[in-house]
Amino acid sequence: MQNTLHKSTLENGLQIYLKEIHTAPIVSLWLWYDIGARNEVPGKTGLSHWVEHMQFKGTANMTGQEMDHAIARVGGYWNAFTSQDWTTYLETLPANHLELALKIEADRMQNSLFDPDDVEMERTVILSEREGAENDPLFLLGEATEALAFQTHPYRNEVLGFQADIESLTRDDLYGHYKNYYQPQNARLCLAGDFDTPTVLKMIEDYFGAIPSHPVKKNIPTPEGRITQTHHIELEGPGDAHFAEIVYRSPAANTNDFFAYTILDSLLAGPSSLNMFGSGGISNRTSRLYKALVENEIVAGVFAGINATIDPGSYSFTLICRPDRASEDVIKRFDEQIEDIRNGNIKKAELERAVKQAKALFVYGADNITNQGFWLGYAPSFADYNWFLQYIERLQAVTPEQVIAIAQKYFSPDERVVGFYNPIKKD
Amino acid sequence: MSQNLPHAGNILRTSFNNSSTLLAWHNSTSPAVVIQGLLPPGTVADTPGQYGLANLTTAMLMTGTQKHDFQALHEKIESLGASIHVQSGKLMTSFALQCLAEDLPTILDLLTEILSQPAFPEKHFARIQSQILTTLAIRAQDTAAMADQAFDRLLYQTHPFAHPSIGYAQDMMALTLDDLRAFHSDYYTPQNMIIAASGGLAPEELTKIVENTLGAWHKTAPQKQPDLPDFFPPTKSQREHITMEDKSQTDLIIGVLGPKTQGDDFQAASIANNILGQFGMMGRVGESVREKAGLAYYVQSALGAGLGPTPWQVVAGVNPSNLDKAIALIKEELHKFICMPVTTEELEDSRAQAIGRLPLALESNTGITRSLLSMERYQLGLNHLRDLPAKLAAITAQDILTVAQRYWNLDTLIISSAGKEIA
Repeated sequence: MQNTLHKSTLENGLQIYLKEIHTAPIVSLWLWYDIGARNEVPGKTGLSHWVEHMQFKGTANMTGQEMDHAIARVGGYWNAFTSQDWTTYLETLPANHLELALKIEADRMQNSLFDPDDVEMERTVILSEREGAENDPLFLLGEATEALAFQTHPYRNEVLGFQADIESLTRDDLYGHYKNYYQPQNARLCLAGDFDTPTVLKMIEDYFGAIPSHPVKKNIPTPEGRITQTHHIELEGPGDAHFAEIVYRSPAANTNDFFAYTILDSLLAGPSSLNMFGSGGISNRTSRLYKALVENEIVAGVFAGINATIDPGSYSFTLICRPDRASEDVIKRFDEQIEDIRNGNIKKAELERAVKQAKALFVYGADNITNQGFWLGYAPSFADYNWFLQYIERLQAVTPEQVIAIAQKYFSPDERVVGFYNPIKKD
Repeated sequence: MSQNLPHAGNILRTSFNNSSTLLAWHNSTSPAVVIQGLLPPGTVADTPGQYGLANLTTAMLMTGTQKHDFQALHEKIESLGASIHVQSGKLMTSFALQCLAEDLPTILDLLTEILSQPAFPEKHFARIQSQILTTLAIRAQDTAAMADQAFDRLLYQTHPFAHPSIGYAQDMMALTLDDLRAFHSDYYTPQNMIIAASGGLAPEELTKIVENTLGAWHKTAPQKQPDLPDFFPPTKSQREHITMEDKSQTDLIIGVLGPKTQGDDFQAASIANNILGQFGMMGRVGESVREKAGLAYYVQSALGAGLGPTPWQVVAGVNPSNLDKAIALIKEELHKFICMPVTTEELEDSRAQAIGRLPLALESNTGITRSLLSMERYQLGLNHLRDLPAKLAAITAQDILTVAQRYWNLDTLIISSAGKEIA
């Protein structure tokens, strides 16, 4: 596998990451902006996500439909994602059509129209998106527990934004957000695939080199430390299924704690994959919580997944509960497993297995060129690309003592949010 | 730049003594291997009063074999960072594994045990039943799943496909381990099993490993699962709304019986479907319902594939107050679709897309094995991917209009939805 990595910065501040991979005649382009829900302020939640939608509506040079059809016509696909920390745009397409993606991204970095009619149309679409999410009890429970896991930090808000904010945001709010954040110096252009680096660098300079950068006025929130008490919340809703979420603070990705925390996550609930595409998954039937809770019929299922975030974030265990088990009993049995680790009961073999699983997930993710393009920009959003390259090595260096220390530091029963979703009792 | 599509010259196709067939392809850049496969039976073997038997049987396969109990089995799989999945489909049971290439013999051994020598341990039975009950409870609150279930009920009526693969709670809870053992003994067989493999092993080496595992599974005199009865779709429109209070979004399906995957109409229908509700931001219906009217977060069309009768649908997620407007707009688009030929631009765009995306579909081992499996299952030939561009390029606007008119009879539309009560 060829892994030639090129990194440079244009004069206007645009960072360039290029990785040649010649296994298939395709290329994946990712353009990352360092703007997400994390940078939003109360009353204006959902701005980053809505701006992402508006980027598909066209510029003075190309309508949204023309862009869309041009990508589709060559057999490519495009998409975008907004997270707490970033917004990213991707095109994966046959390698000989790379220039089309560069042209579109350079154009919509500076020329998107934000037509008022389109803004209003998209308001309905985004409200529909939120309504679809609200159909899921786990979305409602997650939104409620996150709001308690942070006092003021924007991680407490859903990326979609609050309904009241979506209803009141204006075209000026959206356009101002766009003009402020969508600039070369706030962006990373990442390409993985079948191309020649010098040729592509010339193309990038031609399309992006002349785009001016202005100072970015960015709202940087103050990171929050511990969850200072135990919060309990119970929601009621339709259905027959019971759920629980138990939320702890997680460390920022660019800290040593993150790697021991990742091992702890794997031991308790099975390995998490940070890949966005093509990694497959490894089941969690030999994880501690599955053995203790699912096999013993305390709950029907247990899942967790660590996120790599800029600031300290939240880490949630999701339990699919059984109607015949009292919530106190579920929490008691859950806590026994956490306490076991906090008391120092960890074997080195468990760590070795967690590392082997992480290595396998790493290999599966590398199988997919789109996923390789994702990592070029994702890792620098919270650290740098070396974070990705050294990921396995840093996991290997974790000791049982470090995992125990992490459990003691982050998994206190007095510093968490416990939420339940219970079906409304039927008459 | 190299164009390295799988074709007859680089796919190794082998039939084993047990009547199973392997298609193997070498992905020299991958240190991993993916295998996918299909074998009898499917949920069509379920009988009235026992709907969910096939699904419960596959769920129990993963609880232990005659050589490995639950913990030993999963310890071996997970400690290698591998995965094995088995799932019931309507006509076949599917399996999939992913592992590092050096671990393939171990993981294939385990998969063979899981399929051929399950233990059906008593101690896990109630737990698995309970987990399926929970899945059913979660499904019952999923508007998309409920709209889909209602659609199948309306379209297939008395045909076995009318029933959800997961079955019904009452039937599932009445099943016994003896039912499962008998079902496995009767129907699970390597005869006609199809296996597709792609990854970092030479095809000859990969074939040898499969021959010694899945290829060495022999079973005498399995029962043949019941033949599918003839299917006659409804002759008039059907409409059902599932009321689910406190749901913010309503899921909607409008559809008809689609063409056979192996039939002459399928390729033209796939281009037609692309124009109707796939191309770009979801084709004509996406442009009309989402982009212009702003009525839905998602709307698209879907052409079913399979060896039995499969639907052709338009699906959407809408605000409950917009449901009627969305139905009217989609019907309007369908009316245009069957009255006027598609434009030259639409046809050229969709044909070009279908041809251009071939390399993208083969980006990963999973994508490659999926293609290999289709080649064998639908008897498309090993040169299918190489021949497909020419076939697609030959499709005309008249071909599109013909299939649109043949299948989208607006007097026999099946419309299902699930969400808040309709005013």
